[in-house]
Amino acid sequence: MIRSTEKGMGMMIRRASAIVLILAMIMPLAGCWSRKELNQLAIAVGAGIDKKGDHYRLSIQVVDPGEVASKNGGANRAAATLFTAEAETVFEAARKMSRVAPRKIYFSHLRMFVIDEILAKEGIGPVLDFLSRDHEFRTDFYIVVTRDSTAEDVLKIMTPLEDIPANKLYFSLESSEKNWSPSLTVTLDELIQDMTLKGKQPVLTGLKITGDKKVGKTKRNIENIETYSKLQYSGLAVFKADKLIGWLNDTQSKGYNYIRGLVQSSVGHVPCENGGGNVVTEIIRTKTDMKGLIQKGQPLIKISVYIEGNVAEVSCSDLDLNKESSIFEIEKRDEESIKGFMLSAIKKTQEDFKVDTFGFGEAIRRTHPAFWKTIKEDWEERYFPELPVHITVDFKIRRLGTVNNSFLKDMEE
Amino acid sequence: MLNKSKISSRQFMILTTFFTFGSAILTVPSGIVALAQQDAWIAALIGLAIGIVLIGMYILLAKQHPNKSLVEMMDVLMGKWLGRLIALLFVVSYFLLGPCAVLSILGNFLTTQMMPETPMVSLNILITAVVIMGGYLGIEVLARSSELIIPWGALLFFAFIVLVSFDIKPLNLQPVLENGIAPLGPAVLSFLGTVFLPNIILLMIIPHVNNEDNEAGRALLIGSIIGCVVMIIIIIMTIMVFGPGFTARSMYPTYSLARKISIGNFLQRIEAIIATIWFISLYFRVTIYVYVLSVALAQIFNLKDYRPLLMPLGMLLVVLSQFIYPNIPYEQESDARTWVPFTIIFGLFLPLLLLCLRGFRNMNKN
Repeated sequence: MIRSTEKGMGMMIRRASAIVLILAMIMPLAGCWSRKELNQLAIAVGAGIDKKGDHYRLSIQVVDPGEVASKNGGANRAAATLFTAEAETVFEAARKMSRVAPRKIYFSHLRMFVIDEILAKEGIGPVLDFLSRDHEFRTDFYIVVTRDSTAEDVLKIMTPLEDIPANKLYFSLESSEKNWSPSLTVTLDELIQDMTLKGKQPVLTGLKITGDKKVGKTKRNIENIETYSKLQYSGLAVFKADKLIGWLNDTQSKGYNYIRGLVQSSVGHVPCENGGGNVVTEIIRTKTDMKGLIQKGQPLIKISVYIEGNVAEVSCSDLDLNKESSIFEIEKRDEESIKGFMLSAIKKTQEDFKVDTFGFGEAIRRTHPAFWKTIKEDWEERYFPELPVHITVDFKIRRLGTVNNSFLKDMEE
Repeated sequence: MLNKSKISSRQFMILTTFFTFGSAILTVPSGIVALAQQDAWIAALIGLAIGIVLIGMYILLAKQHPNKSLVEMMDVLMGKWLGRLIALLFVVSYFLLGPCAVLSILGNFLTTQMMPETPMVSLNILITAVVIMGGYLGIEVLARSSELIIPWGALLFFAFIVLVSFDIKPLNLQPVLENGIAPLGPAVLSFLGTVFLPNIILLMIIPHVNNEDNEAGRALLIGSIIGCVVMIIIIIMTIMVFGPGFTARSMYPTYSLARKISIGNFLQRIEAIIATIWFISLYFRVTIYVYVLSVALAQIFNLKDYRPLLMPLGMLLVVLSQFIYPNIPYEQESDARTWVPFTIIFGLFLPLLLLCLRGFRNMNKN
């Protein structure tokens, strides 16, 4: 009898201690030490930096989750809100923001990082270190530079279609790079790589506000069909290391993207042979090959671009698209025109900026590393401004779309 | 023998693979790229070639002393006192620089990248608890669990490589041999130091391997080669995606690589899942270290069982992993300056010495 109760006691103790152990193990299993609940975070989608005196002014566009999630228009608030703070360093500004923001700012979902033009002229290096060091920042957001306005203002503009302005900037930059091509997506790791290479300097897409800025910041901006104020990408900012030194216009930016082989799809036109109208071609794929060579002890760049396109729009009345020769004619003039874009971009950087934004130096380093070492130090002063660049463009028109000759040809005047 | 447990040669191969790329997957890409820039993968390939010779040496050693662990070999060849003294030195120093360092690397990684507010000690206690459990259950259980886990590890690894290959820029690998062959030397050494030389401690496990057709040696060789190839693929990927500059500056390039995955704005932000690969591999590396070192200690002091040693070793492990590296620059300095010569002493000179001693013995006999 006694023995069996002892046994029962032992069982009970065992069972009780097992339960205690299980309960104790639940705590570490939940792993909720550094937990951050969604309703305790302010999710930053856009960030902008301006320089005010020797202070950085950080503006963060934060999603208003209640407004985004609500189906029937919500409570008439904007889908995002903006917090700003000023401090001597970026990180301090980000933390100082807790004085105005009700929640802790969370950066992992950042889509756009906007740098003010004036700050860019002074140098963006000090700002970028924080972005690459802090663990919340990923490398998948895009970096752009403002043109003629502050970063703060850019983040205040209301946008149609996309409720969250930073999302509009993100998708519009992506689709503009894909379909139009004077803009270019640059992520943090690419930017930092370019800043540290001798033979390749960084570029960033420019962003400007068109129209009435004041109305743009109010809800009125998106109440009409035509918005008062828009955010528009424009040109490429050329950097020397981390300092902005000038801008390429849209044509030159297009040329830049052809040289770098970044054009995926684009549209270009050439005038008709006898004037009065254009032939528009849609470019569907391109391939660029850049080679660094040495000729008589001097560096030389050879670029060959292969482009495939379709006829997209014809407004010439006398063009006979049934003849192969007229296709060859369009191809030839398209080649000339694209070569022109590229040459104008090269001319502008060689004459005005004297910085190697195209990565010509890197091309030479890849093929002739030993030679590159000897010219590396004088590259930008001596070699780059006079660097001969040979461009060959091979444009192939494949299809004409859904009709062959334009009805314009048969139209009675 | 203390312990009669046996594992199959296939299990031994898997354990070797995990052990080989264990901590290297986090630390090697950044370090080797800092030394050899875009040619780091060439250095790794040279490392593979030298590593095969090294493993060949270990296999020869194991063949000369069938069913004997490394400590027992030293016992036989150097005499009881000297042999055990050196074995003790081996155990103590490997304990400091092996499992303590690996645990500290894992803790630092977690607190830097994933859970910055969690104290490292709480993470390390949790991991060490599982490590001690693994050690307590013994080599058979460890080997079987590695066999269970490897398909998932392989699946994750292939998914990782395929998904990240959308971002590669092969031009980053050029120019090949920009600075000649000379800078490859230190890079090869640092690669060998983490990937091949520590495999000497696997000679403690070899007596447990079913060795009917002499297949234990082959398992060691193949396991090491697979682990090394995994490392070479990761090094090439980080260089092609980020370029040498960013890779060398990055603290954990492998994790940055996983962060880069984004397929159609849909399949993205899966780095925490990918990180499972090195949680598993680092776990096996620490556990194998702890198991082997406690068995070695037991053999040195003629204990019947190694298990009572696990708990105190585990406590030491948690404490030491806190301050073995007071800060990150110290860790990098130690990886570069201390670890490599240390592993060369125990991974190259020690087996060479043992081979020579054996040779003298044979000559004397004749």
